[in-house]
Amino acid sequence: MAKDDIRDRETVTPADVLGGPTRRRGLTDFMPRKSGKLLAGLVLVVGTLLFAFLGPLFTQNPRNSDNPALLPPGSDGHVLGTTSLGRDVLAQLAHGAQGSIMVGLVAGAIALVLSLIFGILAGYVGGWTDEGLSAFTSVMLVLPGLPLIIVLASFAQQSDALQFMSRSLWLVAIILGLTAWPGAAIVLRSQARSLRVRDYVAASRVAGEKPHWIIGVEILPNLLPLLAAQFIGAVILAIMNEAGLAYLGLGPSGSITWGTMLNEAQTGAALTRGAWWWFVPPGLMIALFGCGLSLINFSIDEVVNPKLRTAPAAVKSVRKAAKAVAEDEKKVEA
Amino acid sequence: MKFYVRRITFYVITLWAAISLNFALPRLMPGDAMSTMIARMGRSGDIPESTLRSIELLFGNPDESSLWEQYVAYLGQLFRGDLGVSVTKYPAPVTELIGQALPWTIGLVGLATVISFVLGVGAGAFVGWKRGTWVDSFVPASTLLQAVPYFWLAMIFVYLFAVTNRWFPIAWNYDPFSFSGPELSWAFVGSVVYHGTLPALTIVISSFGGWLLGMRNMMVATLSEDYVTTAEAKGLKRSRILTTYAARNAALPSMAGFSIALAFVVAGSIVTEQVFSYPGLGKLMITAVQGNDYALMQGTFLVITIAVLAANFLMDLIYGFIDPRTRHNG
Amino acid sequence: MIRSTGRQRLLSAVALASGLTLLAAGCSSSSNDEGNDGDAPSTAEARTLNVWAGSQTPIVENFNPYAPGVLHAALGGVYETFFVYNKVQDDPPIPMLAESAEFNDDGTELTVVLRQGVQWSDGEDFDAEDVIYSFTAEHVKRDWVKSVEAVDPHTVTFTFDGPQFTSEFALLGASWLVPEHIWSGIENPIEIVNENPVGTGPYIVDTVSDNAYTVTANPGYWGGEPAVSEIRYLGVDQNQTASDLLTSGQIDWATMFIPDVDAVLADGRLGYLNTPQDPTVLYTCANVDLGCEGPQTDKAVRQALNLAIDRGEINEKAFVGLAADISPTFALLGRDDHWISPDVESVSPQTADVDGAKAILEDAGYELGADGIFEKDGQKLELELTSVDGWTDYNDAARLIEESARAAGIGLTASTVTWQEFSDSRQSGEFELVMGGVVGTSVADPFQIYRDWFSGEYTQPVGEILQPGEWNFSRYDNPAVNDAVKAAAATNDEAAKQAAYATIQEHIVEDLPYIPIVINATQTFFDTSDFTGWPTEDDTFVFPPAWSNPSSGVILGKLAGQ
Repeated sequence: MAKDDIRDRETVTPADVLGGPTRRRGLTDFMPRKSGKLLAGLVLVVGTLLFAFLGPLFTQNPRNSDNPALLPPGSDGHVLGTTSLGRDVLAQLAHGAQGSIMVGLVAGAIALVLSLIFGILAGYVGGWTDEGLSAFTSVMLVLPGLPLIIVLASFAQQSDALQFMSRSLWLVAIILGLTAWPGAAIVLRSQARSLRVRDYVAASRVAGEKPHWIIGVEILPNLLPLLAAQFIGAVILAIMNEAGLAYLGLGPSGSITWGTMLNEAQTGAALTRGAWWWFVPPGLMIALFGCGLSLINFSIDEVVNPKLRTAPAAVKSVRKAAKAVAEDEKKVEA
Repeated sequence: MKFYVRRITFYVITLWAAISLNFALPRLMPGDAMSTMIARMGRSGDIPESTLRSIELLFGNPDESSLWEQYVAYLGQLFRGDLGVSVTKYPAPVTELIGQALPWTIGLVGLATVISFVLGVGAGAFVGWKRGTWVDSFVPASTLLQAVPYFWLAMIFVYLFAVTNRWFPIAWNYDPFSFSGPELSWAFVGSVVYHGTLPALTIVISSFGGWLLGMRNMMVATLSEDYVTTAEAKGLKRSRILTTYAARNAALPSMAGFSIALAFVVAGSIVTEQVFSYPGLGKLMITAVQGNDYALMQGTFLVITIAVLAANFLMDLIYGFIDPRTRHNG
Repeated sequence: MIRSTGRQRLLSAVALASGLTLLAAGCSSSSNDEGNDGDAPSTAEARTLNVWAGSQTPIVENFNPYAPGVLHAALGGVYETFFVYNKVQDDPPIPMLAESAEFNDDGTELTVVLRQGVQWSDGEDFDAEDVIYSFTAEHVKRDWVKSVEAVDPHTVTFTFDGPQFTSEFALLGASWLVPEHIWSGIENPIEIVNENPVGTGPYIVDTVSDNAYTVTANPGYWGGEPAVSEIRYLGVDQNQTASDLLTSGQIDWATMFIPDVDAVLADGRLGYLNTPQDPTVLYTCANVDLGCEGPQTDKAVRQALNLAIDRGEINEKAFVGLAADISPTFALLGRDDHWISPDVESVSPQTADVDGAKAILEDAGYELGADGIFEKDGQKLELELTSVDGWTDYNDAARLIEESARAAGIGLTASTVTWQEFSDSRQSGEFELVMGGVVGTSVADPFQIYRDWFSGEYTQPVGEILQPGEWNFSRYDNPAVNDAVKAAAATNDEAAKQAAYATIQEHIVEDLPYIPIVINATQTFFDTSDFTGWPTEDDTFVFPPAWSNPSSGVILGKLAGQ
């Protein structure tokens, strides 16, 4: 059985599945009606973005070290206290948000494009193209990312052409993007290979459609949830990897990110000195922002792939009905 | 059969490419062993001139042979299983260091990954199966868990459960105060389990959510496939639908992810082992990278390379087995 | 004793709570490590001393004193030197395997009288044959040692090709004595692991594992069998972990940077000594003649920077108030005071003097630009200061220096680099300013710094890598200083040396090829509730760090339980 029928997909919209009145795919159709998940996700992500871009207007210069060191939260107008250098943690957090989000977006975009090329193209086209592309993917996959990053960074340091961004935020983001795609590419390739032998794809090939049309129209839409998941996953991963790199002392230098904050807190022995307000907030921000992105990701999934949303709802209504029947039966018995 | 021959050829070529890259990468990095070692020792006080002399005698002759000769020599050494001598851990041979570290990494991170995968996929299948009930609230919860930076969580755990409350050890893979080396006894096994518990726990907690979410989504999607509906309509047992129809198909992407995760057990343990001072391969690699220890770096690279290739090969076999279409069109 | 009972209870409670502990650590750590009826202090046998000397896991067996990566216990614990020099205070050297040593008048001959009655741990006697091997074997012999001859079995005479007063420490305090009857039969002495080292020291190697190695007391030690019968050297990977282990009572002796000293000392178990030794400075590539580039090659810029820096704030914030004041003469304050010329400022300024800094620059022809940064000939006064990423104290200090420099109109930018870049740049001289360290001298005399760091013979032109043993990263080359270094080397007369040092100091305080910042803290923590014999604030008889050799051997020989 085909997963989806071409005819169906040309005429049927998610709204139809829900029994909604409109047949045009407007923006509203992409908005699932009652989704606590989406709402929570949006609140978290938009909140973080607002904090990142408006926060710096209301906080100190994050590099100002004139304050006393290690002030606890709330003292002297420092909502989240100060670091061992006397820097305002809240100000650092807001500037760090900008840095981390930037790293995430740049790396995520790079990884997405590369995994598309190397995953779907390889998986669909097959043959020698597949062999070549997946050979490259495999080689990239087997190169341990972390040492590769160090090599690339020290290489960039020496090369005059790249001097302008040595160990900068951008370089770290680009390197994280360049090393993050092979895993996604392999997953996508497996899926694409599975899809290309489905009846409807075979049918359009027989009908003489061009490969790029088949990939764009037949294969990509089916992979959209996976793609969305991969992109948002890559953003989250990049933010977390940046933090991990910073933990190992390899993060961007000169910029403030949540990762570099954590690194400073950790090397400054924040926890043992009782300065939890220095160590906990950056990690928490990463967790909350990542969580928000994932929740949005989920809701996108549900829009693109109505089954994710309709199925639970359908099950719910079936169960409700069954319950009602059972209760009716009970009443009857009584 | 053709499928397998092709795959094996492919992996042999990939292995060669990886080995060659392995050879090239460390040579692109700046710095030579002698000056690195001297400068490094210089940080912790002055170096007695006798030591300086030894270092010069040992490392002072940079390899003057051509790159091609070095490459051939490198391949020859690989075939003999000779990975050279570590500079940072002088005079230990690299093979010995890796041999010492590998079991600990596989034991700790491998086991934790398997546990996390089984729990996550199992829970994901369950949550997907029970879609539309209160169980759905697992989704946001595990999303949050998944987004927690691993080392941050691990360090807080160490602080709370090993430093503040001394429930777990702060470092090591077994108790160095009671055992002067690995031994075959229940007490030793107990010590190993005790020392591995907290690191394993943090790995499971931080990776479990990913498996759960992936599996749950695929499960929900698969369950609304026509063939599942058909199976339901035919009146098949729900348990049979769950295992044979839904879970098996939904698990495909998770399996792919799992084999990658397993392969990266060896590499992915860097941060864990760093936080918990666990003497595995990941920590060895960091030591090598920080110390410009080319031999050790290449050795750890190589082991990871082979692990990843083997896992990919295995994945191909498993995929071909679960999803026969792959085999015919591969 | 109350304290130790308290720890006892805690350990058992933990064992019960975790369940698993019962299997593993519980029984052993409570029964072995602490005597249960330890209420009678003097009779209690000392428990195992747990030391972290800086080894990381996995520990690799290596007790070869000539090999890099030799484990700490081998040096001082197993192998010994003639004397141990105290780098903390101006004491006479402690005689170990020598009873006395004396140069002839012109410094071309050194006669060493060996300690009698010393035996190697395999029972053989220690005598002149061993000394001759230890100084003339192929892998250790020095070009300038013409001969080493035995006058009698317990007296040895070294002959040199010129005055070697300055080599006193290298010969007497940093050359390990090994048994000739064993080493003469070894083919490649620098390549062996030396699993069962035979030495004269207080301890004998017992077990080695990847997490720790242990040594046991040498019953035939010439100083008497040590009272602590076993020492365990642990491998720990990070300072944080080590400090946690120290706080929780699992490490008894460690030397490392701990910002919050009070928290570690809170339970009263540990004693603490801070013995600042190593200067932290700004390396400046100072010498245009050897190819240095950048504004810092102008002496006025270095002098202005020197005044603009707020050392008090740097110590308070970047070094947690633990660092010591530095002297621009690079003599260690307190220890080397009599070497400091009365004609120079003995301590670097502790507060920022913005006006003074600006005045110097204005006098040198710089003009304050509209953006608050000085300019000269249309060139902005802009400098880059690098520090190794992850050396937090240095990174923090660099950031603070950036702020104070900018306040004085010097456009200094602090950035971080990898350790490798740091090493490459200082080796090749391709840098403007680098946050770096100077190695403190091993004896109470700043001579080694003057020769290795300031003299023109210990440097190379920019672009060429310094040779091993050369430390003059700033490329400073001043004939007056070079001559004074040579004069000081050729004499053992204190007044003559003082005169030479006064010349050196006059120039380096003025020229500032290294801008002094602070003297780094060296923090040592040791268990005083179960052990005695440690150096104290009043009597720091040797440099106390656990990793320092051969001084740690002196401490090992003195420790006792209580």
